[in-house]
Amino acid sequence: MMIDKNKGLPEEILNLPESSFEMVQTDEIKDEKFKTKPIGFFKDALLRLQHSKISIISFWIILSIIILALIVPNITGFTYTEQDLAKRNLPPKIPGLENIGIADGSRVLTNRKKDSLSDTNRYPEGSIIEIVREYESKGVAMVDVKVDAYALAGIEDDVYHWFGTDYLGRDLMTRLFKGVRISLIIAFFSVITNVIIGVIYGSICGYYGGKVDMFLTHFAEVLDGMPYIVITILFMILLGSGMLSIILALCITGWIGTARLIRAQFYRFKGREYVLAARTLGVPDVKLIFRHILPNCIGPLITRAMIAIPGAIFSESFLAYIGLGIKPPEPSIGILLSDGQSVLLQYPYQTLFPAILISVLMIAFNLFSNGLRDALDPTRRGEE
Amino acid sequence: MVKYILKRIGAMLLTLFLIMTLSFWIIRLMPMSIFENPATPPDIQKLLMAEMHLDKPLFVQYLYFIKGVVTEAEFGTSVQIRPGMDVFEILASRIPPTVLLNIMSLLISIPLGIVFGTIAALKRNKATDNIISFLIVICISVPSFVFASVLQYVFTFKIPIFPTLYDTQAATFAGTMHSLLLPIIALALGPMATIARYLRGELIETLSSEYLLLARTKGLTRTQATVRHAFRNSLVPIANTIIPLITGIMGGSLVIEKMFAVPGMGGLLIDSIMAGDHFLTVSLLIFYSTISLITILIVDISYGIIDPRIRVGGGK
Repeated sequence: MMIDKNKGLPEEILNLPESSFEMVQTDEIKDEKFKTKPIGFFKDALLRLQHSKISIISFWIILSIIILALIVPNITGFTYTEQDLAKRNLPPKIPGLENIGIADGSRVLTNRKKDSLSDTNRYPEGSIIEIVREYESKGVAMVDVKVDAYALAGIEDDVYHWFGTDYLGRDLMTRLFKGVRISLIIAFFSVITNVIIGVIYGSICGYYGGKVDMFLTHFAEVLDGMPYIVITILFMILLGSGMLSIILALCITGWIGTARLIRAQFYRFKGREYVLAARTLGVPDVKLIFRHILPNCIGPLITRAMIAIPGAIFSESFLAYIGLGIKPPEPSIGILLSDGQSVLLQYPYQTLFPAILISVLMIAFNLFSNGLRDALDPTRRGEE
Repeated sequence: MVKYILKRIGAMLLTLFLIMTLSFWIIRLMPMSIFENPATPPDIQKLLMAEMHLDKPLFVQYLYFIKGVVTEAEFGTSVQIRPGMDVFEILASRIPPTVLLNIMSLLISIPLGIVFGTIAALKRNKATDNIISFLIVICISVPSFVFASVLQYVFTFKIPIFPTLYDTQAATFAGTMHSLLLPIIALALGPMATIARYLRGELIETLSSEYLLLARTKGLTRTQATVRHAFRNSLVPIANTIIPLITGIMGGSLVIEKMFAVPGMGGLLIDSIMAGDHFLTVSLLIFYSTISLITILIVDISYGIIDPRIRVGGGK
């Protein structure tokens, strides 16, 4: 509305010069300025997170595993596909540790004829470390002998396979960290896709409500009612093995939880006054959803995504175990575990390292996401 | 209540039908060869194909399949794993070990989880609680197949007190259980920890509520108040976590069965996928779904009995 300036005012008042006006109060307001910066939601959460030692430790563990996964496969001097049948199933050998008797590349061979030990074709010079046990069986002198498996296979002294080699003579450390890289990529991408689908689906359900909501929620419920394993297996069969197929298969039902969470949050917030105010000012739906309501869900969303990552790593290993994992020769933690499992009793180290790594990774992710949840949503602190 | 149960059963049958359709179409669209031996004379191949309705369009085959399943529980014939054997017969012999393994794990994990959760909540922030909470995090995080590997290595190889593999020849139930104990433990650890964790959280919240203060004020000891008042209220939300646990156990048992050579459905499913025995795969998936849907239905209904507020679509 325009104000009619000239209406009813005498000419001399309208033409008053600026100099004839005077400030009523000229002295400054003596309030002290805030010396600290205002703390936003995320800064607040970060501060709380830093107080939790366990979260910080878990964070560093996760970060170092990621860094190792990026660096190690490039610096071991082996590639993850390099096969050498002469180096099959070598035990771990780590420089430094080998001098104190751990991981020195030795292995105990049982039930060997004692006479054969002097045969330098089978046991090259220096390959026999010590005789563990001597006994007699059916009149033949038998021994259990501890040998240097590296010397036995005729490998130079300066070759080190830190985590040993597998049944094709591939370096397990290279494969393990390459596998971690692949498993993490699968986990991250499947979780991101799930979050995106879940957010969009949940927003539409929650924001529009009514018939749309009813239809979409029922659809999600039917999908959710199907056993997760069966659906995942079906889609892995359909899509064939490969990294992309795993990511997609993990997304078939993975988004439902996120969608449900977002929908609940929308129902909570869409009736608030500030949303009503924004709507009255003519803010379009899309902007209302993403600018005004969705930011309320960020906290639970981040927590949920973090919790979903170990789940995705687990699912990937699970699929690898039942033979629907990624294509060989690509490694993943699951592939290495299931390969190692088949020779568990003979070569336990082939299972040991992937098992330790996946356990540490999962524990770290779980602890970190617990800490993150406490930091982002302090009202739920202490609930495990 | 009857209406509620009927509604749940209806929903279950619908889901089952969807799964049947989906598995049939997805798996049968994959290339498959039912003849190992290419030298089989073409006219015999044709006869066999006609016998199994394989010469007709896929949609007609689908109708035959649905008709067979619904009217005579006829799932087809295995073509690769046990050529010529009726799929239903193979399944019938494979189901008991799987069900035994899954049910035992569930039955072990629930009471133990409740016990540990309660202890942790009562000894909150003391050493006992810290130890239990730490173990809970480990049990939740470490996958069941890693536990299985560790158990198998330690208790069958280093300290040989359990058989490495499932004992199919065991004469007594105790003998079977002896060889099944390690897989059961491996499967039960995760669910046990999940229940303990939820119960601990629930109990801690309940323990600080006002009606518990009242109970203490009127002279009950801490234990009495917990067991009589707090415990029941905390158990209701726990029932909700059991359904995902069942699906988790069933998934885990797929792998664990294979590791311990349990002659159950898990190993068979893996083998049939690998061998491309499509009739068998389809029926296994259907049976897998059926078992898990029935278990979920039972939990769901009992949950409705425990807490009438939860009944889905229970009317007003």
